[in-house]
Amino acid sequence: MSDTHQPLFSRAVVALNGGPSDARIVRLVAEMARGSKAELIAIHVVEIDWTLPLDADIAGRDEEIQRVLDMAEQVAEESKLTLEPVLLQARDVGAAIIDESTERGADLLVVGLPYRKRFGGEFALGRTIPYILQNAPCAVWVVRDPIAEE
Amino acid sequence: MIGGRRPIQGRKPGDRRVRLERPHSPYFRYTGPGQLTAKEAASGPTTPTGRALAGVRGYLFGRPLASLEELGERLSKTKALAIFSSDAISSSAYATEEILRVLIFGGVAALALGVWVSLAISILLIAVAISYRQICIAYPTGGGSYTVSRRNIGRTVSLVAASALLIDYVMTVAVSTSSAVEQIVSAFPALFDERVLIGVAAITLIAIANLRGLREAGNIFAAPTYLFIGSALIMIAVGSFRIIVLGEGATYGPTVVAQLNETVQPLTALLLLRAFAAGAVALTGTEAIATGVPAFKPPEPRNAATTLAVMAGLLGVLFVGITFLAVNFAILPGKQTVIAQVAATVYGDGPAFYLFQIFTATLLFLAANTSFNAFPRLLAILAGDGYMPRQFALRGDRLAFSYGIIVLASLAALLIIAFRGSTHLLIPLYAVGVFIDFTISQTGMIRHWLRERTPGYQRRLAINAFGAILTGIVAVIVTAVKFWDGAWIVLVLIPILVALMSFIRRQYEAQEKELFVNDAGVLPGPHREQRVVIPVNGINRAVIQAVNFGRALAGDVRAVYVTDDLDKAESMRERWDRQLPDVPLVIVESPYRAVISPVVAYLDILDQAWPPDKEAPLTIVVLPEYVARHWWDRMLYNQTAKRLKAAIVGREHTVIADVPYRRGH
Repeated sequence: MSDTHQPLFSRAVVALNGGPSDARIVRLVAEMARGSKAELIAIHVVEIDWTLPLDADIAGRDEEIQRVLDMAEQVAEESKLTLEPVLLQARDVGAAIIDESTERGADLLVVGLPYRKRFGGEFALGRTIPYILQNAPCAVWVVRDPIAEE
Repeated sequence: MIGGRRPIQGRKPGDRRVRLERPHSPYFRYTGPGQLTAKEAASGPTTPTGRALAGVRGYLFGRPLASLEELGERLSKTKALAIFSSDAISSSAYATEEILRVLIFGGVAALALGVWVSLAISILLIAVAISYRQICIAYPTGGGSYTVSRRNIGRTVSLVAASALLIDYVMTVAVSTSSAVEQIVSAFPALFDERVLIGVAAITLIAIANLRGLREAGNIFAAPTYLFIGSALIMIAVGSFRIIVLGEGATYGPTVVAQLNETVQPLTALLLLRAFAAGAVALTGTEAIATGVPAFKPPEPRNAATTLAVMAGLLGVLFVGITFLAVNFAILPGKQTVIAQVAATVYGDGPAFYLFQIFTATLLFLAANTSFNAFPRLLAILAGDGYMPRQFALRGDRLAFSYGIIVLASLAALLIIAFRGSTHLLIPLYAVGVFIDFTISQTGMIRHWLRERTPGYQRRLAINAFGAILTGIVAVIVTAVKFWDGAWIVLVLIPILVALMSFIRRQYEAQEKELFVNDAGVLPGPHREQRVVIPVNGINRAVIQAVNFGRALAGDVRAVYVTDDLDKAESMRERWDRQLPDVPLVIVESPYRAVISPVVAYLDILDQAWPPDKEAPLTIVVLPEYVARHWWDRMLYNQTAKRLKAAIVGREHTVIADVPYRRGH
């Protein structure tokens, strides 16, 4: 009986890719965290290719990149929760998400997987999600979210 | 490198990442391309003193609210009845007393006519209510007399309506509060001498609650109205039963009759008219529902109209019922209020009486509170239309129109002090404005129906025309019979307020015209010549910084050094020419030791020397300033610069630029 009242997670990391499904994923996690007062961390990783130094001034000045995390913060606030935004630059998005989640002791990692409703729900799994599924130190939720068709 | 941060090593050798600082994050949020939204931290004060003050304010008034946090709750009919009619229904607590205070001059026989006077007023109430129901239906967005008259009649009349309304709101607070205090004093006579203090304290508390952003939607606001209505209806039922069925009614004792007969005036039509005018105060607050239509649940106009009808019915029953009991229990106005005496007669001296007094006082305080919502809102609408200073349209930290609340509380408190907290003395100022408002809005509605000509408009037009004529006549009666009792103050104030509002509007219009920029075409860049004048006190880091800043502004830069010491002037010249050879230094010898005036005079001669056929240049006076490190040593520095600034601020073609020097520059 007592198990049903256990919170699902106490510290969740939400990985954002800057896509249209970000807001919905944050809202979903925020709604689930509301009762348990779990900690929320949103991570956005900007991939830096090998032609530039890792600490090149790329994401810091880019409003659009900042907006990804600001939006997440706003969505969490609407659910009366605080969310810690983390902006990273890395060579590999998956590895950065895993390392950050491990360091912060997350017990849940949420990632979005956009798919097209047309063409039989086609989607590309890419490199990041398989890497996360393979290396995550905690539970992983992959939220398959439809892309709004033009 | 970003912010000097070193890459963090991941689990695997090649996995490194950099965590980026987001300096905007505590203060702003990016919400669109080139668009930031300020967070609470960015809206707060930055100095320690400011933060301390904000802390105190937060403690008193609560944390600041964002605009999105405003409650948009719609009211059900039962809740709306309680919230909007507290003002109207509460007037039944003092209207009877006002009638008796007039009729008493006609002796015992006249007092018996009180019931008939209250019945006549109730008929007027029904007429006004039917008339106002039309406004609820015609103006679903809220039809205050200002809105109705502005749309249908014209600017001046609408300003008369607004002025009368503003006066009404202030009077509602003053009258309701003083009456509430009188109810408390009736139950606890020992507090009689403290009534002004209690009244002012109550207004202060209500003002603070409203500055905290008090919303009237809560159940807590509905309860007192229903408690009063319930206990008053029981009182009327029990009292009437005792009078009619048990025959327990009293007659005035022989001493009272003898006393009254000594001072008796003939029972003239004038006395009855005066009693009618005095009791007409019962109608105050009837318009509240018509102005609050948007707060109702849909269908808003229909629900508001129904609620208005119920309210008028209840008010009529309470008013006539209380008057009936007062007359039949032979009650005379005295130190205890009439309603308190009625309650004491019916309920005895037990807890029921004290409870009734508490309910009555609470309802009256609530009635005062309604004005705290309406008055600032009307001021904000007037400010939006340019008739009041723009500050009144600004919402405070808690989304309340703070300036309006403070003005209302101050005026009402002053009235209570000036009239020693006496409801009876305040009332002559009250009803006049109310009836002027009624008349203006009904007249506005006549124009409305004539213009709209919606199906069945003739019937509606007739109702409003009847209402307008009736309330117009009452307005004249009330003003005439109460003129020397205080109504004249209102008649003087209204034109003053109208003139003031028109004046403010003219000022804003003139400013708008002056600042107008044509919206066609690309705006040209600067075309005036600029020159810089830097008053200096020597050569130091602050002066050098100011000179360098000046050099970035114009090619024509000169420093001015005012002194009464020629030796000092000479050494200054020598050093200046050596160290700043490309900036001309003007030394002004001042044998009378003045510092400010010679600088101003120098600016004047510079202007005069400018060729008259060329457009006057912009003179930028650059002032080097040393920034004090603490609040307490500020007075040690920049005093001359401050005086100079005061002397040249507002000077034609002149801009003042402060160049602060901070430690470590």
